[in-house]
Amino acid sequence: MEFMTTASRTKKGVLLIGVLFSCAVMLGWADNWEDIQRESAKIKSVSAHFSQEKHMQILTRPLVSKGLFYFQVPDSVRWEYISPIRSILLMRKGDIRRYTVGSKGLVEDKGGSLEYMQIVLQEISRWSTGQFTANEHFSATLKGGRGAKIILTPRETGLSSIISRIVITLSPDRPGVIKSVKIIESEGNYTLFEFTDVQINGKISESLFREVI
Amino acid sequence: MMHFMLPVRWFLIFSFIFLLISCSRLPVIKPVDQAVLPDIEQRCHQPFVDVPYRFIHAIEITLPGGGTGAVVGVTVIDPASENIHSVIMTIEGFVLFDARYEREVHVDWAVPPFDAKHFAERLMEDVRLILVAPHGSLSIAGILEDGSTICRYDGSQGRIYDLIVRQDNSWEIGLYSDSYETIRRVNASSVKDRIPKLIKLTAYDYWDYSLLLSLITAEPVSAGVIQLQPGESPDDE
Repeated sequence: MEFMTTASRTKKGVLLIGVLFSCAVMLGWADNWEDIQRESAKIKSVSAHFSQEKHMQILTRPLVSKGLFYFQVPDSVRWEYISPIRSILLMRKGDIRRYTVGSKGLVEDKGGSLEYMQIVLQEISRWSTGQFTANEHFSATLKGGRGAKIILTPRETGLSSIISRIVITLSPDRPGVIKSVKIIESEGNYTLFEFTDVQINGKISESLFREVI
Repeated sequence: MMHFMLPVRWFLIFSFIFLLISCSRLPVIKPVDQAVLPDIEQRCHQPFVDVPYRFIHAIEITLPGGGTGAVVGVTVIDPASENIHSVIMTIEGFVLFDARYEREVHVDWAVPPFDAKHFAERLMEDVRLILVAPHGSLSIAGILEDGSTICRYDGSQGRIYDLIVRQDNSWEIGLYSDSYETIRRVNASSVKDRIPKLIKLTAYDYWDYSLLLSLITAEPVSAGVIQLQPGESPDDE
């Protein structure tokens, strides 16, 4: 039962980052917050491939995971790992579920809790409208210019014990597209997400957000 | 009162049945000629790496009641010193637990309740059970009815440690109390070049759980890897 509690607690951070990714991909190229808000308003859907590189002291080479990401306004997200472990996080209409492939096939992860759903939805609405500066969880700093970066620093002590800061790098050439997200936990310990094949405002089947297959 | 007594009775019955199941009979060992004992002992060391190694596993955790969770485990072991560095993280890459065993356990990072008292010690015991060759004195070695090799060691606190290596190189560890109750069982299968692709550990003590480890990567490393050096600083700003 202790692990259930652990999963609940850690899921808060995990889901928060999942939401962060979903909204981060929507960000537009910009020199100021007003530009970001303006570009964000144009985004209705996003689909992309992502690679996740986990860098740690214990690893000589980063541990690489790959997957697919889908977002549909106002609040539908599919964050799917293809390798090395297949795992799918679905968020839709206030419902959030997570599935992982195990010995019994693709099963719902019962270790999570829905108590953070409200937080997740709040984050979606804020980020999707570019409201970084009003975010209760992170303070945001924008470094504009070509390949602009947004640096997020946790406001809460609890969150800052897990995440030191987050750096979102925007595509230098393609407004509305994010190049990478780096989550820095501690010195030498960070996760780098890079997005490729990003499709903006393409048609995404609604079933992708409610079915795992 | 009856409504209360009935569940209690069933609880006791189920507890007794569970006790019977968990109180396993030790495998019957067929003695072998003394001349082949060294070969059997050597085969009993086959499951354990003899140079420093790094393992990355997908770990499926099953809890009492059937709840499951999935994490990624990274373990570096130096069989000479028996130093271990173990990290548990979420699939998304968040580190939940980071600890080393160097004669004693040092926890470098743990998210509650992974920082709970004794958690690190118990986790390291499980890791050592899976990856470290047995320490106890060999009490008997031989073969089983199916031809598998078995070595039985006397462990600390009267525990009995059975290591069975099958003809297909899959292996099994049974850890028993002094009253022959099963404490842990480890089954390793799909073994290639001494490295199992699947390992299942089942714990039968006060808090039942099972861990299914699916190998992602295994690679030899230099012994110094466990002696941590400051990592690369992220170039982000």
